[in-house]
Amino acid sequence: MEAWIKAIFFPGFLFLLVVFLTIFYLERKVLADVHLRTGPYYVGKWGILQTTADVFKLLQKEFVIQRRANKLLFSLIPFVAFLMVAILIAFIPFSEHSYIVSTSFDLLVILALVTGMPPVFFYAGWASKSKYSFIGGLRVVNQMISGEIPLWLSALAAAVFYGTLNHLQIVHESSWLGFFILLPAFLIFITATLIVTDRPPFDIPEAEQEVVYGFLTEFGGFNYAILAVAKLIELFALFSVAVILFLGGFKGPILPGIVWFFVKVAVLYLFTFVVRASTPRIRMDQLLRFCWKVLTPVALLNLAFIILVKMFIS
Amino acid sequence: MGNSISLAGYTFVVEESKEISGEDLGLLQEKLLQLNWGVQHPASGPMRLKLWVDGDEVVKVDPDIGYVLRLLEKLVEYRTWINAVVNVERACFMDDFGTMAGYSIAAEKIAGVEVPKKADYVRTILCEGGRIVSHLIGLGSFVGVMGVHTPMQWALIAREKFLDAFEVYSGQRIATASIIPGGVRYEPTGKFIEKMISAVDFLEKEFIPRYAEVFIDNPTLKLRSQGIGVVPKEKAVELGLAGPALRASGVASDVRKDYPYAAYGELDFKVVTKEEGDAYARYLVLWEELIESAKIIRQAIEGLPEGEWRTKFPIKVPPGEAYVNVEWARGCFGFHLISDGGTGPYRLKMRAPSFANVWALPEIMKNVKLADVPVIFASLYMCHGDIDR
Repeated sequence: MEAWIKAIFFPGFLFLLVVFLTIFYLERKVLADVHLRTGPYYVGKWGILQTTADVFKLLQKEFVIQRRANKLLFSLIPFVAFLMVAILIAFIPFSEHSYIVSTSFDLLVILALVTGMPPVFFYAGWASKSKYSFIGGLRVVNQMISGEIPLWLSALAAAVFYGTLNHLQIVHESSWLGFFILLPAFLIFITATLIVTDRPPFDIPEAEQEVVYGFLTEFGGFNYAILAVAKLIELFALFSVAVILFLGGFKGPILPGIVWFFVKVAVLYLFTFVVRASTPRIRMDQLLRFCWKVLTPVALLNLAFIILVKMFIS
Repeated sequence: MGNSISLAGYTFVVEESKEISGEDLGLLQEKLLQLNWGVQHPASGPMRLKLWVDGDEVVKVDPDIGYVLRLLEKLVEYRTWINAVVNVERACFMDDFGTMAGYSIAAEKIAGVEVPKKADYVRTILCEGGRIVSHLIGLGSFVGVMGVHTPMQWALIAREKFLDAFEVYSGQRIATASIIPGGVRYEPTGKFIEKMISAVDFLEKEFIPRYAEVFIDNPTLKLRSQGIGVVPKEKAVELGLAGPALRASGVASDVRKDYPYAAYGELDFKVVTKEEGDAYARYLVLWEELIESAKIIRQAIEGLPEGEWRTKFPIKVPPGEAYVNVEWARGCFGFHLISDGGTGPYRLKMRAPSFANVWALPEIMKNVKLADVPVIFASLYMCHGDIDR
């Protein structure tokens, strides 16, 4: 297949839009199930078009910029954020042949771009010139920097174990033995992912009851939709990386590879939805203490353990 | 000036410079950020907390109330003795029975009317139903401020069953106007009793086990709320806290037990107290009171006597005054009712428990984190309608 067709359709932009709508719909449906409600019901069969309708509603909204806001930055930030996460998807092999690019630095590029997200969200809060947005922006920087170090360390553990940064090669070399040895790294990676993407119970920057909507407070309409897509796609990309690094990517018996890939991603998503429905949000100082006193040292120890294992295997 | 509102012909005068003096000026000079937690805020309700924050630390809190003032006390003066319950019950719609019962008992005291025993029992059933309905919302919103909306949804399902019972009884689900001077307005039919029993069954057999499994002893919930907003016993009395917030500090104050009204004197129940006095203790007091209330309803239904449910209440009440306290869902609610011999109350003063709790906020919210503000606020279990009246 031509690369540009891939970039537009299958692992490209249209695919991202469908992923966004589906995840949003599934999140609402699963949460509703835990809440003992029905959830989206009226738009389309089983309410399947509800999220599409919501997005189109957002597109019709007026483009409101606060008087004191930095207009250029305020209008630009959502697109920068979206571009940064869209690039992440280009490096993810959903099956043997469906990927946009494959280089020898796949994992490095993904981790570098994820590390680049905090300034973007901070500027989103700063450019809004609103107290709540500003606090949300500061919180996002605090939280992401503390979460990214365990994220890097646990992802590098997998890279050290397989001896490569290329996603396809990692998937090909993955095995049950690798899964068990990398299990601690997997758990650290998932926790760090929840921290980096501000998912509950770590949704401190967007804590509605404290700072309204954090750095997203002043955004509305199309801008808000793009930023929300960016945040969801970031989580999707990191979960895809988790599947590739620790769960064997598209490998699996009988069913085609792409189905296996999405089944694995769906299991991770189900876990986050259930956590969201049952775990209260923790406080910023508790999160920082957890990150720096528990998660980072454990991730470092884990990396040392992987190096030790690697020494004996090779 | 190019926004759509000014183009549409509206003019806004924005106060850009406002004179600030005294302590507030000092705080601003120290470069502290002043946050308005409310009026337009997802968790505040119709009131405002002026917060001065230094980074994540709260330095000073100043409650600003009065956004839902409805002059209920004044409106009562234009009603007849019986009609006045519709104003009294609107102090807070979560539990309207407690306020109606308190007002009715005060009016009966002045008029010297003795209510039938059956009316007392029905009042007890309704008051406890109202308490359960209110406590369910309280539990749900306490966990809700930490970003989990599951308890609220589960609580609303249990609450619906009680509202169904109220609908069968009075035709209304929320503002029922069913307890009046001289008894209760409607006959407690078999269908009402049946609905009430099924609601209590649902609460005890489905809601309580399901909720206790996840949200009582939840480690993250404890992490967030234990040791937050601690009020020692002496301090709680000094601040004049009311209701579950007072009992969570170890003061066994409950009007139902201390000065029994309605049928509470003949029923067996215990006053829930906790010693810790923190936000988690207040949450647990709500939870255990819910279980106690369900038991009280069962006892009252079992002991429901035969006979009349309402006596004649005079149109004109002789001059006099009465002060009555009732244990409302959110604490001790006082009614000071004065009659000048007319067809309606001359003056009614309502002593609201939530109003007492609001003014404890500046004391409790000293040196806490910004993230603790909604938790402490929700744990004090206040109702905005009750604060302003």
